[in-house]
Amino acid sequence: MSKPTDLVQGTLDLLILRVIALEPMHGWAIAQRIRQMSGDELRVGQGSLYPALHKLEQQGWIAAEWAASENNRRAKYYTLTRAGRKALENETVQWERLSAAISLVVRRA
Amino acid sequence: MRGAAKLRLRLRSLLRRDRVEEELDEELRFHLDRLTDEHVAAGLAPTEARHAALREMGGLDQRKEECRDARGLALLDELRQDGQYALRGLRKSPGFTTVAILSLALGIGANTTIFTFVNAVLLRPLPYPGSDRLVILREQPAGSAGTVAVHPLNFLEWRARARSFESLALVQTPPLDVIGAGGAEQIARAQTTWELFSVFGVGPALGRVFTREETQPGTHDAVILGYGFWQRWFGGDPAVLGRRLDVRDGSLTIIGVAPPGLRIGLIEPDVYTPLPIDPAKPESIGSRSFQCYGRLKPGVGLDAARAEMAVVASALARQYPMDEGYGVFVSGLHEYLVREGRPALRLLMAVVATVLVIACVNLAGLLMARGIRRRGEFAVRSSLGASRGRLVRQLIIESLVLSSLGGAAGLVLAYGGTRALVTLTADALTAGSIEPIRLESTCLAFTLVVSTMTALVFGLLPAWQASRVEPQMALRERTRGGTADRRQHRIRSALVVTEVAMAVVLLVGAGLLLRTLSRLVRVDLGFQPARTITMKLFLGARPDEARVALVDQILDRIEALPGVKAASTIQFLPLTGMNCGTGFWLEGQARGDPSQALPTECSLVSRGYFAAMGIPLVDGRPFDRRDRMGTTRVAIVNQSFARRYFPEGRARGRRILVVWSDETWAEIVGIVGDVRHNGLTSEPAPTVFLLHAQTPGYITSLVVRADGDAGAQAAAVRNAIREVDPTQAVSAAKTMEQYVADSLARPRMYAALVACFAVLAVILAAVGVYGLIAYVVAQRTHEIGIRLALGASRGDVFRAVFGQGARLAFAGLVLGLVAARGLRAAVSTMLFGVAPGDPISHVVAAAVFAVVALGVAAIPAHRASRVDPTTALRCE
Repeated sequence: MSKPTDLVQGTLDLLILRVIALEPMHGWAIAQRIRQMSGDELRVGQGSLYPALHKLEQQGWIAAEWAASENNRRAKYYTLTRAGRKALENETVQWERLSAAISLVVRRA
Repeated sequence: MRGAAKLRLRLRSLLRRDRVEEELDEELRFHLDRLTDEHVAAGLAPTEARHAALREMGGLDQRKEECRDARGLALLDELRQDGQYALRGLRKSPGFTTVAILSLALGIGANTTIFTFVNAVLLRPLPYPGSDRLVILREQPAGSAGTVAVHPLNFLEWRARARSFESLALVQTPPLDVIGAGGAEQIARAQTTWELFSVFGVGPALGRVFTREETQPGTHDAVILGYGFWQRWFGGDPAVLGRRLDVRDGSLTIIGVAPPGLRIGLIEPDVYTPLPIDPAKPESIGSRSFQCYGRLKPGVGLDAARAEMAVVASALARQYPMDEGYGVFVSGLHEYLVREGRPALRLLMAVVATVLVIACVNLAGLLMARGIRRRGEFAVRSSLGASRGRLVRQLIIESLVLSSLGGAAGLVLAYGGTRALVTLTADALTAGSIEPIRLESTCLAFTLVVSTMTALVFGLLPAWQASRVEPQMALRERTRGGTADRRQHRIRSALVVTEVAMAVVLLVGAGLLLRTLSRLVRVDLGFQPARTITMKLFLGARPDEARVALVDQILDRIEALPGVKAASTIQFLPLTGMNCGTGFWLEGQARGDPSQALPTECSLVSRGYFAAMGIPLVDGRPFDRRDRMGTTRVAIVNQSFARRYFPEGRARGRRILVVWSDETWAEIVGIVGDVRHNGLTSEPAPTVFLLHAQTPGYITSLVVRADGDAGAQAAAVRNAIREVDPTQAVSAAKTMEQYVADSLARPRMYAALVACFAVLAVILAAVGVYGLIAYVVAQRTHEIGIRLALGASRGDVFRAVFGQGARLAFAGLVLGLVAARGLRAAVSTMLFGVAPGDPISHVVAAAVFAVVALGVAAIPAHRASRVDPTTALRCE
């Protein structure tokens, strides 16, 4: 399997953290929400979400628990932990700085 | 998330694999189903929708693999990072790393070495099947802690009555003289009843073992060869069965070969011959002079066997007068064989454990100091987001890396140490061990456990301390001392005082053992060991007169040799661990009543014995040629005997009857000086000497005193014996000085080892004192600079720093001397002629340590006094 680049990887993490900051969600819903919130611009590859989720869980930024989903099946719901919330803040700041810097460069050139 | 929850998650990923896998499967399947549903809603057929969904997800298994990676690698990655980081950090401070690894290596090496001995001697079972059921049985006089050998009559009774044992065997180990191409040779023999091999649970390597019939009275000529003797004498020839082994009075038929490594007690017999017991007259083969081995039935414990034998013994005591006052001693065979080495090894284990603790305390101090120096680094890392758990883990991994390196180095030391120690202690410690002593897997596991525990226990405190850092405070303070520093300093001081105290305890112990050794070297043996050689003779199954004549002729020849001053024989030489305890009746007592017999040891000697051994005659006359079979029976007693039984001082001329000698009374014709027959530390026992020429024995030892080098006489003595009887074999010669040296081997080893470890402990403790003071100086260079600039003299600075070191050393010294009091009971059994509270040992230990500690404290104090104020103030 090809690994996403660091930038993409980091971005996906940020997107996941941002999305579940609103409410606990399962993987399917996270993918749907990212697509929806980005106005259909960002499509997370089907299933490529899960390795990222598991890595974030191991890092202690998100926690998982099993609960019934909207169609009454068992699904794994992810929530943000305290550490995750802090990380989200950091990552957001980083991201804003980075994107601002990039747009500065792009516009001036 | 808290560290604990995180750890649980990690462990779950690692340990509850199946569960985690199931959940992963369910999670991905949920996604797949949703995607399929979407495709169906968009109008695809269900199967097609499924295929499309799988395609889009790129295959479930590949995704699972990625998730597994994500879970596992996070942990492993971090561990690898920590490990590399630790190694890099250690490389950057070579001084710290060297001292730390060296202390650990010394501590762990010493422990592994001693553990190797403990394992080989105490822990490893005997190399026989079901060896935990092997027992030894002996007779035990009531009220005595000691035991005596077994009487054949009692063996027969035990075998008939006891139900606890699968089998019991009776053994005696008189040597055997075999005739080979090079003449007669004395070899080690076990004379045994037929059960011996089943007791030890072994079968023959070749041929068969004895049958029950072969150990009944009658003429038997069967012999089983010991494995080593078979190799040596017959070159391991498998066609040896049925051939004959020539002995002095005929030849024996070889029926089998014993398995290799079979030891009966401590000897590995060259041959086994049957021991026939006549049930009608068991005492015809001897009295209390046999070894009895048994195998417990499965499920029967030692206590049950002891209880049963106590009942048997009391029944026998009622039936036979000779058993009155005797119990039965039952012990596990391994337990019995290692009884002498056990307390010593325990002591050594405690000593090396102390050394290790000192090394670890040192290391903890070093780690704390290092932690303070690295406070800035931790502050930076924690403000960059490293959690406290992560920092603690980092430090623990660092100490694990250290202890692994130390453990590896310790193992190298232990390898060398074990080999050196095996050579050094061949006589003192290996007695009782069956297998050779070497490093083996148990020892490696021991080292691993010790190293890991060391790292965890002594790395945790400094790690916890170092991680309690308020980043802002630390960044601001950097190197100047704050409250945290003072607390750390107190803890480190306490650690140093503790290690000093432990080193002092070991020094005191070493002093006591060294003083014991010097007392033992100078102990009055009661005889003159110099210029005396001895050889063992087995007179065998000759008639009484022939045994007397043989010894007579041999002594005549030897006495005629040039350079020989005196020659004689004694049944059991002093300091060989052998004696003959018996009883006697005084004239006027009712003879024949065993309960009236008074206890004494008895030695069977030839004329000239006291001259040959250098024992002074105090009163009367020695034995001489006139004392023969037909003349008046004579006895000589030692001073202890005379003092105890004739306190009024009229021993000479009185008549006594020694219990087994024979039916005639003997007249005491002389009194001789006391001899420490049973060991350097045992007080002489009352002893009566009887004459071989009047009561001929079977086993005896020649004692030859020479003018000059006794060893040079060995060949001439051997020749003299061959001239008298070419078929008479004799053992290798051994000087009495060698027997004395053997008795000193054990105390010498204790003293040497404990002294070595005490020196090691002192060095480590000195490093601890030095490390702390040097660290304090380094921390306060700035302050010292200010003081000097403000007019303090260099002497003031020296005194201040030196005083701090001296106070630490003094506190440790006092604590150590107090702690040494608590250990008096533990060492008292190993001392001789020295009280456990011996002031000299204590004073010398204290003085030695004081000199070392003050010397070590003076170095950083001197350095502090040489500080250049301008340089000190400029830095920072």
